[in-house]
Amino acid sequence: MKRKFDLAIAVLAVLALIGIVAWIMQLQRGLILTNMRNPFTWGLYIAMWAFYVGTAAGGLVVSSAIYIFGVKQLKPIAPVASVTAFIFAVAAMLMALPDIGRPDRLLNLFIYPNFKSLILWDFIILSTYAILSAIYTFVLLRPKIAASGISIPFVGTVMKRDMTAEEIQRLEKESERRAKILAPIALPFAILIHTVTAWVLATQLSRPWWYGGLLAPTFIAAALTAGPAVVILASLIVYGYRKDLQDAYRLLAKVSAFSVVALLFMYYNDFFVRQWWDAGREFDTIMLVFRDYLAIHAVEIIFMLLGTFILATRYNSVGGLVAGSLAVNIGILAHRYLLIPPAYNIIPLRVPVVLGIESFEWSYPIAVGDIRGTLMNPQPVFTAYWNYVPSLIEIAITIGVFAIISLVLLGMLRALPVYPQGSQ
Amino acid sequence: MVRYGMVIDLNRCIGCRSCAVVCKMVNSVPTGTWWQRVETVGSKEHMVPTGEYPNLSEVFLPVPCMHCENPPCVKVCPVGATWKREDGLVLVDFERCIGCRYCLTACPYGVRQFNWQDADENIKQGFEVAGFEENWYKPSDYKYGYPIDHRTKDGRLVYTKTRPRGVVEKCTFCVQFVDQGIAPACVRGCPGNARVFGDLDDPNSEISKVLKDRSTFRLLEDLGTEPKVFYIPPARKEGRGGVNYEKKV
Repeated sequence: MKRKFDLAIAVLAVLALIGIVAWIMQLQRGLILTNMRNPFTWGLYIAMWAFYVGTAAGGLVVSSAIYIFGVKQLKPIAPVASVTAFIFAVAAMLMALPDIGRPDRLLNLFIYPNFKSLILWDFIILSTYAILSAIYTFVLLRPKIAASGISIPFVGTVMKRDMTAEEIQRLEKESERRAKILAPIALPFAILIHTVTAWVLATQLSRPWWYGGLLAPTFIAAALTAGPAVVILASLIVYGYRKDLQDAYRLLAKVSAFSVVALLFMYYNDFFVRQWWDAGREFDTIMLVFRDYLAIHAVEIIFMLLGTFILATRYNSVGGLVAGSLAVNIGILAHRYLLIPPAYNIIPLRVPVVLGIESFEWSYPIAVGDIRGTLMNPQPVFTAYWNYVPSLIEIAITIGVFAIISLVLLGMLRALPVYPQGSQ
Repeated sequence: MVRYGMVIDLNRCIGCRSCAVVCKMVNSVPTGTWWQRVETVGSKEHMVPTGEYPNLSEVFLPVPCMHCENPPCVKVCPVGATWKREDGLVLVDFERCIGCRYCLTACPYGVRQFNWQDADENIKQGFEVAGFEENWYKPSDYKYGYPIDHRTKDGRLVYTKTRPRGVVEKCTFCVQFVDQGIAPACVRGCPGNARVFGDLDDPNSEISKVLKDRSTFRLLEDLGTEPKVFYIPPARKEGRGGVNYEKKV
């Protein structure tokens, strides 16, 4: 087990290093190294940002469920859940960083904030959520930290105190009381991070693929799918599959499986409404999905359904839980990726052309932003369709961020005394 | 109050793209980036009519920044780097933009452009693609464009020849000229005199008179952005290519 763990750490460290090198390259040359251009301005980074916001959900929803709705069987895994909440909220912000053209000017967010902008609100809500999750984790673990300390590599165990059983009991009571106070404060933020992230996109009338009131609910459904699945995986890594955690796993698996159903209902409900009219921008977004992005759509649907099926039926075995959680997350990942292309490849400026009795809408092409092709084989300077495929740099940075986040997560789970009550 | 706007007469536009080129020259716009586009409506290639003979149409549509009264790009900018000045010009502060490109997503007209790399690199790349030998162009050499940096009264950099990488830019209605009382370059450079620029709030200005006399339309009016660029629709030409109305049924 120790060797396996070390190997995983080594692989992740290499991936993280590659990602950092790729980011330095991108900082030196500019975002030209990505395959995004003026007609297609957000890509893999923003899709992953939305994905990480979703995975951050599980944590605090799980923790809050214990203290607000009294779901006691989730209690043993609460610390792991809130650690994942913290780490993925940080991951979402970290993921948005390489997408910024001028990271050196990020302080402008504090100096000249525009409170009408939902990106600013998203930043505020996400960082608040991250801080709340960190505090929540600390409150939950306080008695255990006092009892056995935090073991930091090369430094040793810190914050360990010698205490009588009485004192430990007092700390435990205090931790319980504070968690009860924190949970109702944290829960609105757990919902808000998805809502505001969805609003960043859903408020844009020029992008019919996003625009509308249904995006925020689907974001919450996606979060309730990915979040619990991530918590299952994290606690399987920490505790393994144990009898006393069976109830917790079963409940999480059921929440995740049910959320997929809710998500698919809302998703296809939207599809149906959009396709019925047979014309217009909303209709064209759906046609684009089926024409150009059918493979991604298939991955999304198949993995979500497969994951639901496994989670709903095989929640009693390690294999079932792992396979189901992974499948559900791959499905959500594809779902998140598909958030981007149909939004950009339906050009907002469409000019009606009337020719006798016929008429159609024509997309006004957008300047790409650089010169491509050769003298004899020039590529268009203005285009109304951008075939976006993430570049190697984008993929390397995305994997790098994932590796860094996994390293920090594994490190935290190892350093903090997160094991459940009554076992060492 | 001054409120600047523009009228483009589509009857007069000959699709020569002079406005786009003069804009690029004067504003030092990098290769591959266009603040001003002119396309043939409905056609894949510019200057190719759309439809089938004899039912053809060839309408040229120039699209600068609309300088909307209700600009979505201003609302979405998290740091207020893009803003609407009192005279109605929507400008970008080159020194404040963080390059998040939310405004490119929000703008329905596709006029916003991002500096994906150094402008010098863009120009070098352009020469390479055009088949020139390596090192034919030296970045330190002459740069085209209006030579002086321009700042608004409150000191915000809205025009510069040396474009910072990683920021957004767009048509400014040639703010460096408008502030000196000169019309934008595209208005002065149009060989067909298709454009009128002026103060919409002054009832005696040329643009107000044109707007009073002619029927005009704006692009994507249903989005509620209230553009300040108005178009005079092209009239159907009589004779060849036109419709002959039958008197008898």
